[in-house]
Amino acid sequence: MLRLLAVQGTWNYERMLGVGMGYAAEPLLDDLKAVDPVRHGEAVARSVEFFNCNPYLAGLALGATARAEYEAVPGPQIVRLRTALCSPLGAMGDELFWAGLVPALVGAALIAVVLGAGWWAIVGLLVVYNGIRLWTSYWSLRLGLKSGMQVGSAIGTSWLPQAIERVGPAAAFSIGAAIPLVAAWYLRPFGWSAGLGAAGIAMAGIALTRWFAPFLSTVRFAVAAMIFLLILRRVGV
Amino acid sequence: MNELTPGVIIPLLLWGTLVGLDLVSVPQAMISRPLVAGTVAGWLVGDVHAGLRIGVVFELFALDVLPVGAVRYPDYGPATVAAVVVGAGFPWQLGMGLSVALGLVLALLGGWTLQLVRRSNARAIQRRAAALAAGESSAIRRLQYGGLLRDAARGLLLTLLGVVFALAIRERVHLDEQTHLALTLVAVGSALAAAANGAFRSSGRSARFKWLAAGAGAGVLLAVLT
Repeated sequence: MLRLLAVQGTWNYERMLGVGMGYAAEPLLDDLKAVDPVRHGEAVARSVEFFNCNPYLAGLALGATARAEYEAVPGPQIVRLRTALCSPLGAMGDELFWAGLVPALVGAALIAVVLGAGWWAIVGLLVVYNGIRLWTSYWSLRLGLKSGMQVGSAIGTSWLPQAIERVGPAAAFSIGAAIPLVAAWYLRPFGWSAGLGAAGIAMAGIALTRWFAPFLSTVRFAVAAMIFLLILRRVGV
Repeated sequence: MNELTPGVIIPLLLWGTLVGLDLVSVPQAMISRPLVAGTVAGWLVGDVHAGLRIGVVFELFALDVLPVGAVRYPDYGPATVAAVVVGAGFPWQLGMGLSVALGLVLALLGGWTLQLVRRSNARAIQRRAAALAAGESSAIRRLQYGGLLRDAARGLLLTLLGVVFALAIRERVHLDEQTHLALTLVAVGSALAAAANGAFRSSGRSARFKWLAAGAGAGVLLAVLT
């Protein structure tokens, strides 16, 4: 399971997670070498082919394909399973983690920082996130190994779809609450007029980055606004 | 704030390297989140408060990013570490503007270096394509360690570059107080825009938007009460 932590170690645009999956599969496929060395070589070669999904759910595909290799499922069928798992595992993992758990916990940590929790907010964020993440990786590998070619239906009846439905609203609420609190935390010392100025910059940033997306990101907007400000100040306006 | 001696700078570089690795390669334990990276960097330079303030503002920028699939995004981790070096030891209202300016440029540069590492990984894989097709485990290991090493070097160089620029800014850039304050307001305003953009994008017009609005209401109420 430790190798799953580095599943994106060789991320690239051609095979994406492929080589990382092969690296994680290596100890799982080790026993196959003694049983059937030819099959082992083919299995290792298959394990490094193109693969892409959310890294935290990669264990499901890894476990399922490893089991299928031991069950001597025909190679093309294993390749089809890997391909079929890419999109759902990507979409579910991204919804659960990147669009759900991460913003939910980061929002909560930001609120805690503003309310004076300091270091505890950081420690809490790391402990809770990594606890959930490690458990999910462990669970996904176990479920993959247990279900093999039936991994699709096993995912469908697991806790995953329900968790995705629940974590989205939590993330939205958490971020929604964090933004005004953080804004007040920063802007209160400046007084009303400066606060309104910053709010104006924020509104302009939202509008302009929407109109000129994808060229104008908020980072580019911020850098441009700062350069503009420095030019204005330099000429004494 | 601690004096920026090698005893402080070397741990900062190591921290920046770890943070750079964490974003994509290993272990994705969220130490690359600006809130974490900035606070620890603040502790290393002896100004946790500055680290926290700067970390939060970069965290708002990071909320605009969904690091999914092959999406290209800025690398805020090493950028936040370098930004903290600029702002440490100053009142945050004065130090934050220039910190954020440097950090954002570094974050864009970091995003570009990620593409370089990815292309370099692809070239390394092409060179060993025959060994991979033959199922050679040793080739997989070499590729994997090579990929990790490239990303570690990327994080280290990015942090080093950031710290060098940060020290130069501390020494050579002297702005008047009004400009510092105005830069800070621009930084905070832009960061709030980034966070709001990210929140609107994830919520869309679905039921999630109602939860966002409810959260915003609760946040405003709490801000008024505290």
